[in-house]
Amino acid sequence: MNPLRDDLLSAGCALVAEAADGYRATPPSVASLCRVVTVLRAHRCPLSIRGSGDAPVLPGAGGVVLDLSALDRIPVMDGETGIAQVEAGCSVNALETAAWRAGATLGPLLPSVRAGSVGAWLAGPTRGERGIPGARRETAALAVSSVLGDGKLAESRAAPRSATGPDLDHLALGGQGRLCVIALAWVRLFPASPALSSSWRVRDLLHGLGAVERLCKDRLAPARVRIQGGRLALAWEGMETAPLDRDRAARVLASLSCELAPESETNLWIRASAAGQAIELDAQWDALARLGASASELQLVGLHAGGSFAVLAHRDQGVDECARLSQRAGARVLAPRRLRAAGPSWEAMGAGAVWLRLVDALGVANDDAHGVAIAALGVANDDAQGVAIAAPDAAEEP
Amino acid sequence: MPKARGVAIAKDLRALLGPGAASCDPADLWASSRDCWPRSLLWTKAGIVPHPPDLVAWPASVDEVAQIVRYAAANQVAVVPFGAGSGVCGGTVPVRGGIALDLKRLAGAPLVDLPARTVEAAAGLNGQRLEEELNSKGATLGHFPSSIYCSTVGGWLAARSAGQSSSRYGKIEDMVLSLEAVCGTGEILRTLEGPSAGPDLTQLLVGSEGTLAVITRARLRCWPVPPARFLRGVRFPSVEKGLKALRLIMRAGLRPSIARLSDPLDALFAGRPGGAAIDLRVPAPLRWLVKAGQEESLRLALRAPLLMNRLADALPASSLLILGFEGDRESEAAEEGTAALRLCGRAGGADLGPAPGERWLSHRYQISYRPSPLFAAGAFVDTMEVATTWDRLPSVYAAVRRAVAPHAFVQTHFSHAYLEGSSICFSFIGLAGATAAEVASFDPGEAELDLEGAEARYDACWKAALTAAADEGATLSHHHGIGLHKQLFLTREHGEGMRQLRALKRAFDPHGILNPGKLLL
Repeated sequence: MNPLRDDLLSAGCALVAEAADGYRATPPSVASLCRVVTVLRAHRCPLSIRGSGDAPVLPGAGGVVLDLSALDRIPVMDGETGIAQVEAGCSVNALETAAWRAGATLGPLLPSVRAGSVGAWLAGPTRGERGIPGARRETAALAVSSVLGDGKLAESRAAPRSATGPDLDHLALGGQGRLCVIALAWVRLFPASPALSSSWRVRDLLHGLGAVERLCKDRLAPARVRIQGGRLALAWEGMETAPLDRDRAARVLASLSCELAPESETNLWIRASAAGQAIELDAQWDALARLGASASELQLVGLHAGGSFAVLAHRDQGVDECARLSQRAGARVLAPRRLRAAGPSWEAMGAGAVWLRLVDALGVANDDAHGVAIAALGVANDDAQGVAIAAPDAAEEP
Repeated sequence: MPKARGVAIAKDLRALLGPGAASCDPADLWASSRDCWPRSLLWTKAGIVPHPPDLVAWPASVDEVAQIVRYAAANQVAVVPFGAGSGVCGGTVPVRGGIALDLKRLAGAPLVDLPARTVEAAAGLNGQRLEEELNSKGATLGHFPSSIYCSTVGGWLAARSAGQSSSRYGKIEDMVLSLEAVCGTGEILRTLEGPSAGPDLTQLLVGSEGTLAVITRARLRCWPVPPARFLRGVRFPSVEKGLKALRLIMRAGLRPSIARLSDPLDALFAGRPGGAAIDLRVPAPLRWLVKAGQEESLRLALRAPLLMNRLADALPASSLLILGFEGDRESEAAEEGTAALRLCGRAGGADLGPAPGERWLSHRYQISYRPSPLFAAGAFVDTMEVATTWDRLPSVYAAVRRAVAPHAFVQTHFSHAYLEGSSICFSFIGLAGATAAEVASFDPGEAELDLEGAEARYDACWKAALTAAADEGATLSHHHGIGLHKQLFLTREHGEGMRQLRALKRAFDPHGILNPGKLLL
């Protein structure tokens, strides 16, 4: 007789008993996911989550790992409008493949994002953000359906912008699953278009980085950039705008003493994996400049006027030292996961007490005193394994 | 007459912050009792003030805001942040009295850092003044709401404002980098620019309409002023073809600074000075007669809105797309413009040259000052701006027009276009009742009866419109916000998300003192 096991099975999920009295529960549908969360709350059972991926994840003692890998459907793919509805456990790569078939794309993303699930991408530290035309960045999530602490499903409306109070999707985006579990999302897609690239000779990485920053501040942000060994390569996407932006950027780059150096296969070079071990960052331009002096290679996506996501490889250092230097320079390390920095918390913004009250009000504190179950839904993807792994530090502030 | 409670609180606040910090003067109370919500114009016409605050306070710094909020929390007094009162949904109407917190003294010179592309501005700073300060340093925010002359930075952020160039620069929530705000316990929050942990605190405060915190300062993205502009009008045989062109332009990654598609009726008035009002040249002594005739004709027409809408539909008119592009050089603006015109041609559009765009641009802010004469003439005017994705836009357009047709005359334009969809703005003109002059001659009972009838017609029109929009999957507001006006539909919009909203309220404002009665909080 095991009431938790029985209740989870009646919630419709597949169940595997794991070590230390824990379970791995795999809900086959969003409805089942809601029921499972309700059961777990009733049993005051610690919960963690994994998205897609193949690495084994064990629950904590007496806890449950909620495996979202069966929620991998893409109910709607509309390339003309540029939207897709997708379940949280679907891998980003699978979504991109489906989007391409519909003549659309998610656009350039960090390698660790591509290796994870959609839920992990949206709930993770990048909040699903990517670069958009005009040197701006916005989340790819058009609307989010998330399971609240009591198992109810909160669904927002799929609209390009809205003014109906605070944007409630932001309780899920970047929330690491601590306040709610992303079950389903409407995701924004770009039209698929060939990338137009150009290759330039620069004095060094810092020179190239400064030129890219200037392009972004002139609203000419490329979709991708790679700087290595005196070579700067840039690619623009966008059916009508790519040739216009590339030509305008050429004028700016020439004025900054960059030399046009046509190379074959620039598009391939720009997309190639970084040489050697690399870390992924979210950084402002000044932080990148501090890192640039000693970096051997920099790849940029999600560029905007204030900064960029970056893949950075260091000349002499391993990833641990590289991460330490990045932190000191003011950048936020996103991957590898074991080196990931939490970043400044609500506490640092004067909102520590607000956070505690919010966790309490949402009924998601993993605190025995409150006797509530759902918490610590660490759905951030792991760069090495491409999985979402639970974070055991439930009541901790973000 | 000021209430004793207001007088007592004002005395306390003056003792706390100085002699000029608070007032119970009836004129001050009236000015903070309403905004530009058309229903409050009906109140004004009828001579009533249903929701005055108990007092008005003018803090001059974030610390003074925090002091006032702490005082209010300790004494369970409502605090309603007030910018310039340009909202159109009653968001600042103090339905539970209390302190109207007028933020206009938080208005020092903005700190412009053009090399970093940022500007830091206080919440009470007037929008046009901010833009002029930026322009003087070669910068622009790119935020041009039609209320720019009578709105503030804090108001923009509190209501998720959109400007006429949002397709290029984004809405205010796309421009904000960080905020300073005072939550309901008096704690001062300063959100951080750049990567941070957990949910985005800035985005949870933007759009909260003063219910979670009082926004006192913001850092925003700004850009160099683009010296060149390319303007065009493009005619389309139907709204559907115009929408197709708008979608193609946005999906191609082009970044128009103006993208405004008018339906046939809206196209008739687009760019006309003063909007619908046609100025007749008559000798001054006879103008009262013409005015009375126009008012009577208007009210006569508005008694049969269904017929008027059908007549308008039968007009042999076409849709008009106004396009604008900006660039560092004439050639750059023209390159994007030419690419857009090519896409318009593919959708069946005919280039009308720059004149329609120039005409529209020269009158771009007049809409905010247009309604008053119509209200005085016995009509009500209002605008509903919903938003949805490209696939749903045609059905939202058709359903709302069908639903509103029996209640009011309706014209529509699509603006604020994005990669995935657009906002639709429906303008209603309906019969309110007697003219302002007639109401002035009524006794109070008659005025009340006239107001009751006007409000009933106004409510019926809105209920029909919002129901149709929600049925078709549109979001209830793109940039006007919710306020008092749309909150009864908020549960439909958010569903179970309302519990998240209430949790936010308990977290940020545990005493429930900030703008109570709004957003169903």
